[in-house]
Amino acid sequence: MTEKSASSSGDRPPAWFDLEDGNRLRVGGIWRLAQVVQLSRRLERAGLSGREVQEVDASGLTALDSAGAQLLIRAAPSPDAITGIDERYRGLLRRVADAEAATGTLPRPGRPGGSVAQLALIGWRTVGVGIRIWELLGFVGLCTVATGKVLVRPWTLDGRATVHHLQTTGLNALPIVGLLAFLIGVVVAFMGALQLQKFSADIYTVDMVGIAMLRELGVLFAAIMVAGRSGSAFTAEIGAMSLNEEVDAMRTIGLDPIGMLAVPRIVALVIALPLLTVYADLVGLAGGAVVSLAVLDIGFPLFVERLSGAVDETAFLIGLAKAPFFAMAIAIVGCFEGFKVAGSAASVGRRTTTSVVEAIFAVILIDAAFAMALSWLNI
Amino acid sequence: MTARAKEAAKPEPAVSVRGLNNRFGAQQIHEGLDLDLLTGEVLGVVGSSGSGKSVLLRSIVGLNRSRAGDVLVLGSDLFALRGRARKALLARIGVLFQSGALFSGLTVAENIALVLKTHTGLPAASIDRLARQKIDMAGLPQDSAAKLPAQLSGGMRTRAGLARALALDPEIVFLDEPTAGLDPIGAADFDRLIRELQQSLGLTVFMVTHDLNSLVAIADRIAVLVDRKIRVGPLDALLNDPHPWIQAYFHGPRAKAAHNAAGSGN
Repeated sequence: MTEKSASSSGDRPPAWFDLEDGNRLRVGGIWRLAQVVQLSRRLERAGLSGREVQEVDASGLTALDSAGAQLLIRAAPSPDAITGIDERYRGLLRRVADAEAATGTLPRPGRPGGSVAQLALIGWRTVGVGIRIWELLGFVGLCTVATGKVLVRPWTLDGRATVHHLQTTGLNALPIVGLLAFLIGVVVAFMGALQLQKFSADIYTVDMVGIAMLRELGVLFAAIMVAGRSGSAFTAEIGAMSLNEEVDAMRTIGLDPIGMLAVPRIVALVIALPLLTVYADLVGLAGGAVVSLAVLDIGFPLFVERLSGAVDETAFLIGLAKAPFFAMAIAIVGCFEGFKVAGSAASVGRRTTTSVVEAIFAVILIDAAFAMALSWLNI
Repeated sequence: MTARAKEAAKPEPAVSVRGLNNRFGAQQIHEGLDLDLLTGEVLGVVGSSGSGKSVLLRSIVGLNRSRAGDVLVLGSDLFALRGRARKALLARIGVLFQSGALFSGLTVAENIALVLKTHTGLPAASIDRLARQKIDMAGLPQDSAAKLPAQLSGGMRTRAGLARALALDPEIVFLDEPTAGLDPIGAADFDRLIRELQQSLGLTVFMVTHDLNSLVAIADRIAVLVDRKIRVGPLDALLNDPHPWIQAYFHGPRAKAAHNAAGSGN
């Protein structure tokens, strides 16, 4: 036993063991958690296991805790073979021996491996996606019924909550949506100007900005911003309430959580997003006008004149018509994921992420559906 | 019992609080509070709602910096220590928060393993073995090791919190209302568990509680928080204390029932 960390009191290390006559293990010193790392390594190196050791003499122990006791019991053939232990540690040793008896024989929980397990995982994931879509469709139905009830009897709508959500999702979003729309207008105008100048078709930059902003980009970027800002907030708010059993409390009181929580958010967003779209359209056009003036030397009067010639109200109305659908998708996905929160704080984070990803995905999917339908209708 | 009596005779208390002063806004919680937690004892701490039981516990374990006063835990001031020394002292105490405060994203075994990983360099297999040992010691079935806290009942969550508090074989264990929300049978089982662990592991226990049955069953001494100070003594001494709150507390119908139950039980 060569040990660097010998205790100051003697040449023995703080925890030691000796094998006598090949089958009698004498142990002593401090057998505590802090020593267990070293001790277990040294015991392993000495090649000791319960098979060779017949008896453990523990009379030299000066300190023992449950980690040390576990090591001691694992070195002995059975707990009864440990002799000479101090009266103080007898209760501890007995308790740890009971715990070892309960845990020692347990099979390690194996992780399923191999290609079959991988295939099974793909299957489970696919089933999971199917269940999810099914549940989401169910939730869309619930929300439609609840919103329909409110439409039939508007006085049952929670006005305060709706106005509150109008403010947080609409009014408070004005600065960031405005900045984003302005920059998009600038970028589109720049790109158009650079390409169209080559053909001396500078003036068509105005057409391009007008059609792109009004028909597609204004509403799309407003919706993406709202999905990131408000869809995530819906999920986190409702999720925290679910964790806190507030949603369950509503159910026991006889309140409909969907009517209480989802409907005001859906109504508020369906009002707010079209308004934000009009605002984003205007600010986006302003961005285009600024670039036109700076790069192409097209003044504001000419810009407006050209715009009114190139773009009729159809482009604007098409853009605006998409807004309520985008709003419904964002609000319903946000609320759905919020109600799905269960168990832990991590679940709130996971659901919020999913909510934003799904909302943006739904927005783009609806946009594509609109584009196809409109081209089919030749509008 | 003899070992405990011998250790109690040592001059150094496990925790010593002197002149503690806590105030939140206009509300004075503690004023000149003195308390000794003796090595090897189970101290039950009682007091009305808002009397500062939890604040006292938080002041001792280093979560609440007091306005004035000295708190020595195992001879050191937690707020004076930094880095490694502070971590070493924290390894010698364990705290069971109300309803467990388990990390909700980790399984029960991972909750315990996290503590062991933070404080020791043990290999994963040893940590797993020790975590399972603590789960058994806290009276949980082994299949709860892989469960998330949300999958456990309230009583099992408390036990899992206890297993985490015991992970490093601490010398002092602080329990914040461990039997709150448990049914009487579950609470009695938990009391027995605390008593058993306290004796086999040689723990010193600081237990905030409302449960008179727990007090009668396992507390060696009782500390009552009244008038921003503390009065400590064995149950018999406190029964004769003339303070109106203490009289009402220990002589109410529930107290009598608890005392009678304990008397006939033994």
